[in-house]
Amino acid sequence: MTEKFNGNANTAREESMSKEIKTGKSADGGLVIGRRNVLRAGLSLAALPVLGAIAPRRAFAEAVKATTVQGIETGADVAAAEKEGSLVFYTHDSGAAAAAICDAFQKDFPKISARYVSLQNGALFSKILSERQASRYNADVIQFSDLGTAIDFKKKGGYAEYQSPQQKFYAPEHLSDPAGSFFWIGMSFAGIAYCTDRVKKADAPSSWKDILDPKWRGQLSCKQATSGMQFTEWYELRKLYGDDYWTSFGKQKPKGFNSRVQLFDRLAKGDDSVCTMAEWAGYSLAKQKNAPIEFVAPKDGLPSSPMANGIVSNAPHPQAARLFTDWLMSIKGQRLYQENPYLFYGSVRKDVPPMPGGLKLSDFKLLVPTDMKSFLGSRSAFNSQWNEMLGLL
Amino acid sequence: MIARTSARRKGMVSGIAIVAVVGIFVLYPIFFLLQAALKQGDGTVEGSTGYGLGNFERLPSYASIVWNTLEVSVVATIIAIVVGFLIAYILTRTNVPFRRGLEQLMAVPYYVTPLLGAFAWSLLGAPHSGFVNQFWQALGGEGSIVNVTSAMGIAWVMALFEGSVAFVMISAVMQSIDPSLEEASQVIGASRFSTMMRVTLPLVAPGVLGAVVYVFAEMLGSFSAALVLGTPDRFYVLTTAIFLMVTQYPPRIPLAAAMGVVLFAVMFLMTYFYRKMIAGRSYVTVSGKAFRPRPVDVGGLRWVYFGLVGAYIFLAVVLPLLTLAYVSVQQLATALPAWSNFTLEHYRVALSQNAIRFAIRNSLELGVMTATIGVALTGTISWLLHRTNLPGRGALEYISMFPQAVPRLVFAFGIMWAWLVLPVPIYGTIWLLLIAYVTVFLPLGVRTISSVLLQLDKTLDECGQVCGANWSQRLRTINVPLLRPGIMAAWMLLFIGAVRELGASILLVGPNSQVLTPAIVDAWNYSSSELTAAMALIQTVVVGAVIAIFTVLTRRRELKG
Repeated sequence: MTEKFNGNANTAREESMSKEIKTGKSADGGLVIGRRNVLRAGLSLAALPVLGAIAPRRAFAEAVKATTVQGIETGADVAAAEKEGSLVFYTHDSGAAAAAICDAFQKDFPKISARYVSLQNGALFSKILSERQASRYNADVIQFSDLGTAIDFKKKGGYAEYQSPQQKFYAPEHLSDPAGSFFWIGMSFAGIAYCTDRVKKADAPSSWKDILDPKWRGQLSCKQATSGMQFTEWYELRKLYGDDYWTSFGKQKPKGFNSRVQLFDRLAKGDDSVCTMAEWAGYSLAKQKNAPIEFVAPKDGLPSSPMANGIVSNAPHPQAARLFTDWLMSIKGQRLYQENPYLFYGSVRKDVPPMPGGLKLSDFKLLVPTDMKSFLGSRSAFNSQWNEMLGLL
Repeated sequence: MIARTSARRKGMVSGIAIVAVVGIFVLYPIFFLLQAALKQGDGTVEGSTGYGLGNFERLPSYASIVWNTLEVSVVATIIAIVVGFLIAYILTRTNVPFRRGLEQLMAVPYYVTPLLGAFAWSLLGAPHSGFVNQFWQALGGEGSIVNVTSAMGIAWVMALFEGSVAFVMISAVMQSIDPSLEEASQVIGASRFSTMMRVTLPLVAPGVLGAVVYVFAEMLGSFSAALVLGTPDRFYVLTTAIFLMVTQYPPRIPLAAAMGVVLFAVMFLMTYFYRKMIAGRSYVTVSGKAFRPRPVDVGGLRWVYFGLVGAYIFLAVVLPLLTLAYVSVQQLATALPAWSNFTLEHYRVALSQNAIRFAIRNSLELGVMTATIGVALTGTISWLLHRTNLPGRGALEYISMFPQAVPRLVFAFGIMWAWLVLPVPIYGTIWLLLIAYVTVFLPLGVRTISSVLLQLDKTLDECGQVCGANWSQRLRTINVPLLRPGIMAAWMLLFIGAVRELGASILLVGPNSQVLTPAIVDAWNYSSSELTAAMALIQTVVVGAVIAIFTVLTRRRELKG
């Protein structure tokens, strides 16, 4: 109900907004928030929520008319999107990844200049909430690294409703519930990786239980509690093997890192023998550099966490946001997410080609949290157990 | 007489204006921080359950982390001050060979982002894979000879990269000592060592003390070295704990803010002692009597001194930079080179990213603006503190030291909240970063300029006054020229500080205001260490070039003048 309400209020707001943006545009047709006309743009931005509130709400369900542009089926008004002229993407992904995404989008739509803000998931969440609290709407599209954050954001009325024509290529469980708020833009999944210089293939762990062998004590690495993926692994393996699993794991004195690069660098150099939270993306990047490491996919399955991407309500560039979303959902966007070395995610899109190396996401047995209530509810238990295990209390 | 009163009133008004500006820049975000620290629940709108002291009650369970923080900070401060003092003495007071060149090189560790220093040293000195240890083993040695992941290792790396600021601050002071004081001491038969201890040291005491307070606070607030080197051994300090709390979901900002408030209290005490110690004593070394800063001839000892400074520069500059350069051209960083592993791909990636090109420009612009505005502002503040009877100037000193006390990552939250609610279109633009930088670098500027100001004899200014020069004339022709070394040092420190700033920038960059250091850290988090090394070198070279240009320009002016 809340989402619908937001969605409708939005159309009215969009109109008043595009008017504002016209006046704020610089002569070269470039950025609205360019440094030179920052004052004008800022003033008009500040005026937006007020105008939005004054403008009457029109209660009609918007029928999405799909057109195909650049081989991408979109429900956006492309002309209006190009008129908006820019797009702001908030993402938990790295700057290198975000830059690659924005560049690729801009190549297809040169009239829309795409910019990004990249921040770790928790900090990104704090930032956007603080902005909204102050009625500042800078972001058009936002991507969170785990479903929990996205669901929380949805509860707070953060998303604008948009029924993308690309949705038909996605299973309903890979969209928000109900559809229209966010979608699963890619999957991160983790197995075990080991350093081939230090561990012989025959000795390498092949199942999740193998890493509890005392011979690995002090030689294991994992991530800090900041990692949403580490939380997912904790949740899924606890479901499989019970609470004892992580208690025994704690006795192995694992080393926790915040940086994925540090995790795989250390593994490649043999500082750690086994990485117990080896994300495929990180592994692929290290492997591409000929790091002496090997990936193990335990047969019980790989904990897996979807990243959620959606349009922010009160977005300053609503049509560009739709176009960008459709582009991200298309084969083109999904291939970028699978193939860019700073992304290397798996795609859940039904008709997507295999990942680099020839494997498809469906070749792996994935463990994805389904009971969202229990999943989200156990986050604080995870945080305290994990922080304590790593000596951070 | 009437004109005089009105001039004084004008000065008064501008003084009050400065206090107001500083108050808004500093106290306003701090108000938000205190509010956050007192929040119960998870700190979000819905999760809040009112206010209370719950966050502070939880702090004792972090005692070991507080202890770690103190241990590392104290050791690092001692190393930094001792080394900084010795090198400042050698480079400003003796005829050590290649003085100018060494002086330039001494600035390098400061503008190498601490994260990179830590990163380079972890490549060099990790217990198993460190290059030094690998070479040692390749040469037939057993085990490892260095380990930078210990508490002492972390303190060492922190001292190298955060501590070189001590050198800059102390040498700014040393440059304005009248060498005749030292000569007098030697004439009456004191040895060089006892001259240094009994004449030079007491004269530079305010500068050294200022540096101690500043460096210690910097160490308390630094987190790169502890993050890179400490986490593998579960060695956390307050700032790494705060960093991990703020970046996890759900973010624990109230607890982080409470930790920030604790650091704040410590800093408050430090400033209090600093004021107590310098109060009521005279540190005047620059008086109406003419002198030329003249290095002391130390004979054969100059080569020993050269060796000392050279060794430091080798460890803090040459070795880390060579390591980074070596790593940046490899596909996979290894100790022993192989041709097949060579690549320039990382430079291509680094330079092809539009964001990085923008970021370099933004960083440099911000650096110049921060340094220029910052020097003007902090110069005025120092003036008000030490040369006027402005009511409330004690408070002004405390306020301008506040930003140093709060870890920048936490302070950035305060700044974000503060400027989000103001109806000024600054949020998300480069101007917010400028405000943040000027605010967080207030203490640095005030300390550096104040130290030099304390050495100036007031009578010089009074002479001008007697001769009928007005305030601005006196400033232009008497005070600024005398303060030049301090002002130059401050400008440089602020410029470099702004370009390498990390903690505050992470949160405050907007889509059109990317800056360099967060991009580098981001590469270190997600991309690859080789790319990180390439980006870091690009940053180092760019900043180095700017500093070289700056130095050449100022020297030319010096020669002309």
